[in-house]
Formats: sequence, structure tokens, C-alpha cells
Amino acid sequence: MRLLLAGVNHRTAPVALREKLAYRSEEIPAALVELQALGAKEALILSTCNRVEIAAAVDEEFAAEGFPADTLLENLATRRQGIVFEELRPHLYRFEGKDAIRHLFRVAASLDSMIVGEPQILGQLKEAFAQARDQGSIGSVLNAVLPRAFSVAKRIRSETEIGRNTVSVSHAAVELAREIFGSLQKKRVLIVGAGKMSEGAARQLSNAGAEIFVTNRTAERAAEMAQFFRGQAIPYETFPQRLAELDIVFTSSAAPAYVLTREMVRRALDVRKNHPIFLIDIAVPRNIDPAVQDLEHAFLYDIDDLKRLADRNLRERQDVAEQAEQIVSDEVERLEAKLREREVGPVIVSLQEQLEAIRQDVLGKHRARLGVLTADQEKALEALTRAIVNRIAHGPISEIRREAAEQAAAPQDAELASVVRRMFRLR
Amino acid sequence: MSVFWLRTAAALYFCGLVYALIYLFRKSARLFRPALVAFAAGTIFHLVSIAELWAETGRLPLNNFYETSSVCAFLIAVLFLVAYTRYQISVFAVCIFPLVFFMTMIGATEFPIPKWSSELRNTWLIVHISTVLIGYAALIFAATASVYYLLQERQLKRKQVTPSANRLPPLGTLDTIISQSMNAGFVFITLGTITGVIWAFIESGTEWIGNPKIAFFLFTWVVYLIMIFLRVSAGWRGRRIAWLAVTVLGCSVITWAAHATLGSYWQR
Repeated sequence: MRLLLAGVNHRTAPVALREKLAYRSEEIPAALVELQALGAKEALILSTCNRVEIAAAVDEEFAAEGFPADTLLENLATRRQGIVFEELRPHLYRFEGKDAIRHLFRVAASLDSMIVGEPQILGQLKEAFAQARDQGSIGSVLNAVLPRAFSVAKRIRSETEIGRNTVSVSHAAVELAREIFGSLQKKRVLIVGAGKMSEGAARQLSNAGAEIFVTNRTAERAAEMAQFFRGQAIPYETFPQRLAELDIVFTSSAAPAYVLTREMVRRALDVRKNHPIFLIDIAVPRNIDPAVQDLEHAFLYDIDDLKRLADRNLRERQDVAEQAEQIVSDEVERLEAKLREREVGPVIVSLQEQLEAIRQDVLGKHRARLGVLTADQEKALEALTRAIVNRIAHGPISEIRREAAEQAAAPQDAELASVVRRMFRLR
Repeated sequence: MSVFWLRTAAALYFCGLVYALIYLFRKSARLFRPALVAFAAGTIFHLVSIAELWAETGRLPLNNFYETSSVCAFLIAVLFLVAYTRYQISVFAVCIFPLVFFMTMIGATEFPIPKWSSELRNTWLIVHISTVLIGYAALIFAATASVYYLLQERQLKRKQVTPSANRLPPLGTLDTIISQSMNAGFVFITLGTITGVIWAFIESGTEWIGNPKIAFFLFTWVVYLIMIFLRVSAGWRGRRIAWLAVTVLGCSVITWAAHATLGSYWQR
């Protein structure tokens, strides 16, 4: 069996292509069935907004025909609307064997993410794994690699500082809020515009103990989101009047003009007795007048500021990433060795069984000629024959093991095992 | 007899001071009523004292600094009470109560009192110096935290903060530290000022008022009072409060330096 992997990610393909290729969660089971029909013994599909990848385990015969991961992905991809494989090809990356394992480890550990260290990818990979398992497309190969990838990710998270990274725009906002307020416990947060981005921010802020207030042009949507976070909805028309009681304002509405002006914020600060107010404006065009930044005790960050912050984190995390890469390499080696040993295990076992069968057969044929033996003599005979067999087996077995432990994982390297298999006529 | 009424008034004003100090730590409205009643009663005794002195001498008692201080304190107290009856604004109390108490106390030191035993004198001095020193320590803490506040605020404003790499405490935490240490410092320096004034009064009689060291100490205290008031009422924080804290600290350092030789004060 050979492990193959092919896919596109945020570095190799533009978003226009990625979104064409991306699978909705409910489409994945059917796609997994297709992959199995195409010849994959085991398969897994990981589809997020930054990457679409398939990992598959195939028979050696299948693997021998060119590069089959491409074929699998091609067959799968071309069934989707608007994709021409020629268009896709230059954006594809492909790995096999050891390199595929390494890639999966790096993805799980968020080393391959747009923002290195962001924790969501691990959850997405786990979900993809669970989905494939439910679909019955996980066998011994993926079952060995993926759980290992999860624990490698965990190890990297605990042994390096990668997890301390500011991981996304909403996470960066929460981190900044902590720099201003310390604990966010009981801090009052207003979400202006109940979109997907603000939902992420609301979740993170709510988890940090903040109270959530929501306002939205359509009041129903605000009420819905407020209810979800056990918060309160505020009428869109009057929210600037309640600015003074809020500590954090997160805006992402599609309003064409500023919804918060310098004057509104200045008045709020007066009422608040200058207790700092943190304004996060991720809307484009912006929702908050940039002049607010001139006010003392008002801290205004827009989407570019947050992105810059995330990038800075990335640069500062380079050495952490190196440390993490080292862990990945070590772990790949370890898993590789284990997999190879597992591959040669059956050869060793059948060699031992074969020799034992020969020993018993020959002993049975010739035992009668020896006449009556004492118990001690019986024992000695048993020990003698066993010793001969073991001595003969020792050389081949330890050579196979040594080869498995030392050499790279490409299947032709496991040659010795197949030679032994042939020489001893093992099944 | 007038000085007795004046001291009674000062004692009642002292309740106002205690209220103001407690208010810094616990913003409870419950204590304001009794403090106001005591303060108003103090004003009545104050009036009696001034009226009696007036009747004795036949003219308004404005003969020296003690008397002007007392009369001025009385006027401030009356103004406060009038303003309070009209506008119901209690936040001025934090500033007015301590101020009126101090000015009245100064007024009450016009007539020297008998000398005291050297043991009591030394104990008094120890209490005075240690309260002032504790006050200074808290003030230094507040000033340091203010500087950190400025640095952190500037970094946040310039968007130079990298949360994971930042070693400065959050703004909110610094603000709490500043408030608490500033308030604690004020309590101790106020106690130190009271004990100091009383000590100087007993020690050098009416002469104490001319001592520049003490005058400067009082000035420092007044700046401190203003800072506390601005913070509590106007919500001054950040840059402005940091500068004020550094100013008060500077004044305190000068006062301290002026008292560099303490040896002569001790009675052996």
C-alpha cells in the first residue's frame, strides 16, 4: 500500500480556483465513494477555505501507473462544474509516502496555514478524518498516519510557542482587547453588523467572558445572534447613544458611510470618564471615522492594522516554526520506521512459521528411528533442532529489520523482504 | 473660648475628611449623609467661633494668617453647603471636605498649647515620619505605573503592540494599580500631614506657620488633593494624570530633601 496526497492551497492557487474546487461538508461522503470507485483503498478529503486536498492509500500496482493521486483528483475535480484539469494542474502539489506523511503532519500542526499556528485547521482535519471513517474509507495506512498527525500537532502546540500566535483577525482583536482591558470578564461588547466575521469575534469575546450586545440593520438577525451568545440586541437606529456603556465595539456592517463619528465617540468618552474604549472596524468601506484615533483613550484598529499584526506575529514566529519543523521531521522518521517494520512484520512471521513447520515435519519423520529417549534427551533434541532453525532464521530476520529501520520508505527499498519471501517460498 | 469652638468645628470637619478618604476606595453613597451632617454641624460651630472672636475684639477676626485661614475655610464650607442644597452635587466633597478641615485646623493653631513629654513627642514623630514614608512609597508606585501606562498607551495608539511579545501589563490593570496606590498614598500622606502640622504646632507654637518646609509640605498635599479630585470627578487618566503624579512625586522629593537632617528633631 502506498500513501498519496494531492491538492491546492492558499499559496499555490488563487481563491477563484479554490472556491470552485472546494467541497461542502455534505458533498464529501459522495466524493469519498467516488474515490473508492476510482481505485483508492483508503481516502480522505480535506476541504477548507484555504485548501482542498485528498489523501489516499492505493495498491502498489495502482501506484505504479504514473502519478495516480493526480488521476484521482483529476477524475474527482473534473466532475465539478467549471474545472478544466489543465487549468488546475499548474496549481497542484503532490506528495507520496514519507513526503505525504510530512505534509499531513505540517498541515495538522498549522505549519502550512495562511497564519501559522492558527488552531482551526486541526479541528477541520479531525472532522475530515471522522467523516472518512464514517464512510468506511479509512484503513490501516490512514489510521496510522492521521491519529499520529493529531498527536504531533498537540506535541508541537505544547512544546513550542506556536499556539501563542495571534491566529486570525478576530483572534488578533481579542488579544489586543486583553492588552487594553486585561481580563475581558464582564466587559461589554457591541457587535455592529451580524455577519460571519463578527460571529467569530463574538464567539471569542464571549468565551473570554465578555457580555455581547448586537445591533444590525435587520433587527431579526441581531436578535438571533444576540440570543445565540446570551446577549442583548440593540436597535440599529439608537446604538450610538449607548456607546458610553460599551467597552469594545466591533463593526463589520455594509453601511456606505461612517456609522460612528469622532463626535459620538468623544461624547461617549466624556460620559465614561475616559475609561478606554476599543474600536475594531473590519468593514470595507470603513464604519468608523478614522479621526476617532486622535481621541485620547479611544483605540481604533481597522482591518489592515489587524492584518499587519497577524503578519508581524508570523515573522516573529519564524524560529518557533523551525523548532516545529524539527519535531515534524523526527515524528515522520518515527512513524516511517514503524510503518516499515509493520510492512516487513508479516514476512518475518511467515518465515518463522515456515521454518518451524519444516522443523516439526522433519523431526516427526525421524523421531521414531531414535527409539526410546529419556526426558532429558527429549528436551535436548528439541533444543538442538530449535537452535539450528533459529540460527538460520537470525541472519535474514535481522537484515530485513535493519533494512526497514534504515532505508527510505519507497517500496522498492523493501526489496530484501520480497527476496526472502521468494527464497523461502513464503506465501 | 472661641478656639474651643474652632477645635470642635475642626473635629467635626475631620469626619468629612474620613468620608472623603473612604470614598476613594468604596464609592458608597451611604456614608455621605452622616458626613454632610457632621460637616454642617462643624460649620455652625465654626460660625460660633468666628462670631465670638468678633464680639470680643469688636471687628471681623482677620488679624493674622490663622484667622484668615479659618474665615476662608468657613466661607468655602458655606459655599459648598449652598451649592449642595441647590445642585445636589456631592463629588466636590472629596476635595472640599479635606481642604476645609485643614484650613480650620491651621486656624485652630493660633494659641500654643502646653509642651508634651519627650516620650510622646518621639512616638508622635515616628508615627508622622512612617505615615509619610508609606505615602511616598505608594506615590512612587503610582508614578511608576503611570509611566508604564503612558508607554503601553503609546504603543497601542501607534499600533506597535504585539500581544504575544508584549511585556507591559494591560492598560486596565495599570489603571487599577494607579488608582489604588494613589488613593492609599493620599490617605497616608494626609495622616502624615495632620500629624506633622500638630507636631510642628506643639513644638514651635504659633511660629510653625512660618516654616518653609512645612509650607511646602502643605503645598505638596494640596497638589495631591487636586490630583485625586481630578481623577475621581473628571476621570483624568493617561497622560494628564501621569504628569500630575510625577509633579506630586517631584514636590514630595523636595519636601523629603528639605527634611534631610532629622537628627535635631529627636529628643534624647
